[in-house]
Amino acid sequence: MQVGQTLVNETANGSLLFGIATSMWRLVLGLAVAIVGGLVLGIFMAKIETANQTIGSLILGLQSIPSVAWVPLALLWFGPTDAGVIFVTVAGALFAVTINTHSGIKNIPPTYIAAGRNMGASGMKLVTNIIIPAAFPYLISGFKQGWAYAWRGVIAAEIIFSIAGLGFLLNLGKHDNNIAQVTGILIVIMMIGILVDGFVFKKIEKKVMSRWGLA
Amino acid sequence: MTKLQAKNIVKHYDHNGNSVLALDGITMNVEEGDFVCIVGPSGCGKSTFLNIVAGLEKPDSGEILLNGKPISATGPDRTMVFQEGALFPWLKVIDNVEFGLKMAGIPKEERREISQRYLDMMQLTKFTDSYTYQLSTGMKQRVAIARALAMDPEILLMDEPFAALDSQTRDLLLVELQLIWERTKKTIIFVTHNISESVILGNRVMIFKNRPSKIKKEVIIDYKRPRLAEDTNLQKYYHEILEELKSEVMTGIRGESK
Repeated sequence: MQVGQTLVNETANGSLLFGIATSMWRLVLGLAVAIVGGLVLGIFMAKIETANQTIGSLILGLQSIPSVAWVPLALLWFGPTDAGVIFVTVAGALFAVTINTHSGIKNIPPTYIAAGRNMGASGMKLVTNIIIPAAFPYLISGFKQGWAYAWRGVIAAEIIFSIAGLGFLLNLGKHDNNIAQVTGILIVIMMIGILVDGFVFKKIEKKVMSRWGLA
Repeated sequence: MTKLQAKNIVKHYDHNGNSVLALDGITMNVEEGDFVCIVGPSGCGKSTFLNIVAGLEKPDSGEILLNGKPISATGPDRTMVFQEGALFPWLKVIDNVEFGLKMAGIPKEERREISQRYLDMMQLTKFTDSYTYQLSTGMKQRVAIARALAMDPEILLMDEPFAALDSQTRDLLLVELQLIWERTKKTIIFVTHNISESVILGNRVMIFKNRPSKIKKEVIIDYKRPRLAEDTNLQKYYHEILEELKSEVMTGIRGESK
């Protein structure tokens, strides 16, 4: 009851929507950077064997760092700013995308590449017309993992040092000893997770699977 | 006119750290409009040779001349029909057929027109907008042939394209391919381990020796077309090639058991 009441009140005074919007734009921006960066790094590693040998294990190591462990570095570099939150988001998601991109490309049947090259695809044309679509089933699981890490990263960073966003509202609830607010925000965070998984990723996955005849 | 010349092609490959001689000096001339089949025991390097002609692999020595000019890389003037699984599952049938034309920068309407024509030729009109998983293996290979022909290549390279088909579908495609060859007057090199296939399709059949591979013998098949699988007059060619290959298969087995 109290939880519902709190959520209604916060919706009414706009602080909840503002919190959601703040967290979401940080998430979207951070995830976008992580996806683009992860694709570039992953393709680079797959194409150049020495790159893979030198930075491959480093990336595996970086991937094992929990998102929240990037917070001190974010604070030192960017201070308690939007850029700091986004840094934590990117750092949490980037390496998962990279690793999935790399293994996706490594698993492309060589015949696709041979056929593509034979029909005149080379350089960037080969990347955009063969490599990315052929690796897409892997890429999508990389994006999905990336999103999960990014979402954890945003909330964690906001709890610790932000003055806006859902994480901040959680922290505020703790500060005010307001269990209803804390519980309410947790429910909102969960709902967003369910919606993004169900509407964004499930849809894309389903489409890819059916197109490849795997569903 | 000589369309393609292979001059003394030598190729090693790496097998568990050992260098194995796969092709030991393959020399062959293919005239414009010819239909040449290469037949040999499995693992003899015939597909490697085709890959070299396609420019997908580089020979250790020797060269390939197309219209008298040495080839350097792979390209759509020598399109390849692969054994199987080379269609792109993320594209519709028509987009698969258009792929090479798109890479060549041909405008959309022209692409559509060309690919539609080859889809019609391969009797795939109904499947234009299908995805590849919706097609049978035989249908997929028709798409692959349409895709290769759409590029209007100088020479069509076929690497055991019917190996995965059931025998009825294969017999049908063997006839169709002869009709298409007569219609398009394409120069074709067709690699197979199946002797009947080579006899039905080829003007000439090149028999490859076991590794290290050389051309053991060339058999001219001077017989009317379209040839059917059940035609008993083809038997004598079949047996001539079989005799040559038997000893190769035996040396192959002996070599492996050593």
